[in-house]
Amino acid sequence: MARRRKSERLSAISGIWAETGPTSRFLIGTLIVAAIGLIGLTPKTLFDTELVWPYASLVAAIGWGRSGLGFRPMVVLVVFGLAQDVSAYAPLGCFGFINLAAFGASSLIARSFDRERNPLISTVAPVVLYAVSFVLVWLFASFSGNHLVQLSPLVNVFVVTYILHILTAPVFDLGRRVGPLAGSMS
Amino acid sequence: MARLRGKRLKARPVRRYALIVALVVLFAVLLAQTSPRLRAWIDPARTVAADQLASSARPGLWDRISGKAARDERIRELEAEVRELTRYRSVAISMAARLEAYEDMLNVMGEPPVRGVTARITSETNGPFREAILVNAGTLQGVQPGAYAENEGGLVGRVVQIGERSSRVLLVADFNSRVPVMGEASGMRAILFGDRDDLGTLTDLPERGSFILGERVLTSGEGGIFPRGIVVGEVVERGGALRVEFGMNRGRGGFVRLMPSMQIPRPEEFPAELPDPESAIETDGEAGSEEGAETAASDALPDAGAPGGE
Repeated sequence: MARRRKSERLSAISGIWAETGPTSRFLIGTLIVAAIGLIGLTPKTLFDTELVWPYASLVAAIGWGRSGLGFRPMVVLVVFGLAQDVSAYAPLGCFGFINLAAFGASSLIARSFDRERNPLISTVAPVVLYAVSFVLVWLFASFSGNHLVQLSPLVNVFVVTYILHILTAPVFDLGRRVGPLAGSMS
Repeated sequence: MARLRGKRLKARPVRRYALIVALVVLFAVLLAQTSPRLRAWIDPARTVAADQLASSARPGLWDRISGKAARDERIRELEAEVRELTRYRSVAISMAARLEAYEDMLNVMGEPPVRGVTARITSETNGPFREAILVNAGTLQGVQPGAYAENEGGLVGRVVQIGERSSRVLLVADFNSRVPVMGEASGMRAILFGDRDDLGTLTDLPERGSFILGERVLTSGEGGIFPRGIVVGEVVERGGALRVEFGMNRGRGGFVRLMPSMQIPRPEEFPAELPDPESAIETDGEAGSEEGAETAASDALPDAGAPGGE
């Protein structure tokens, strides 16, 4: 009985989310990224263990990219990137570039290979995009620091960011679909 | 329908071009920062942004409505006044002690009064870029350029950027930090820098001798930033090499104390006022005649004091 009530509640939430427009979805996504980023600015230690914090803007970039290119996501991603640059003491423009590159690549993959939202591509493409993005972070950090930086912290962030992606991917779906190619089987 | 499709097709390339232009611009900004001159322009903007980011030190809307902001402002003013007066008091105490020392020992300089600001760590950067922390104290709280940070475990780093309400501290664990250190027991000198495995690496070691395993590593005071004797860490052995385990990691209470650097002025900053060579010659001439007179007088003296001397 309780399980049924719970599933009804969940279906009601998903129903509301399905009716939500792209602008509202975009605003909610922006707020979520801002909240995660602001919490991430504070010292994060739990029982003397330093917590790894995800790059929420990257999740947003890949999520929003699947719905096609748009000016608003681009502007917001650049702004988030600048905030990340300042907080991470990275060269200005570094995270903005990575966010936009991930956004563009996600859009390109969605347009070229994922018009039908194939489950295999939907699973593999984000992993590849995150991997490429984190390789870019590693490259920029190494060039900026004049030495090869450690990979293990980045791998940890990669894993945590992908977990965040699994949990919040639907929130960053703007609801706009890149339509199937004319003449394709659907 | 056809018009709508045409509109979409037109709009998409514009977005694509915008994305490409944005990527190119951002990459150009990145490249531009490799130039030290351009970086000097960008760094102040970054400092202002970091200052805004450390907003925990700034009053919120509710604080303004409830009057808490005004009270906090007044408290800050009073604290600043107390700090200023404390500084004068410590200066006065130091002056008195120094005067006493002058009376006892000739030409011995006293130590400058130690003062500092305790600040909360508002943001930590432990990512792939530089290891740095942002603290909620800046010039308004009395942090000075070149200050260094320490916690209960030892040296934390040095201030590399100062805003009005925040400062960024480059940790000693960063690859780009260089700290002149010495062994507490061995007295060996070296330069310490952070490495990728959270341990410090010692470089520029003397040809003879080495650090002792387990001894404490202290700042040597060379370089004029860190005063001598601050604990930096402990010598440990990793992979057959002597490394340094940072002491700051033992005391992570979320606060650091920002202390002013030694700031010993260089001789060029305060050149000694030497007399003009021409006037010096003239003075020498006068001094010579005076010396002649003095010699004559001293020649006359032994005669007067001869009975005592013999």
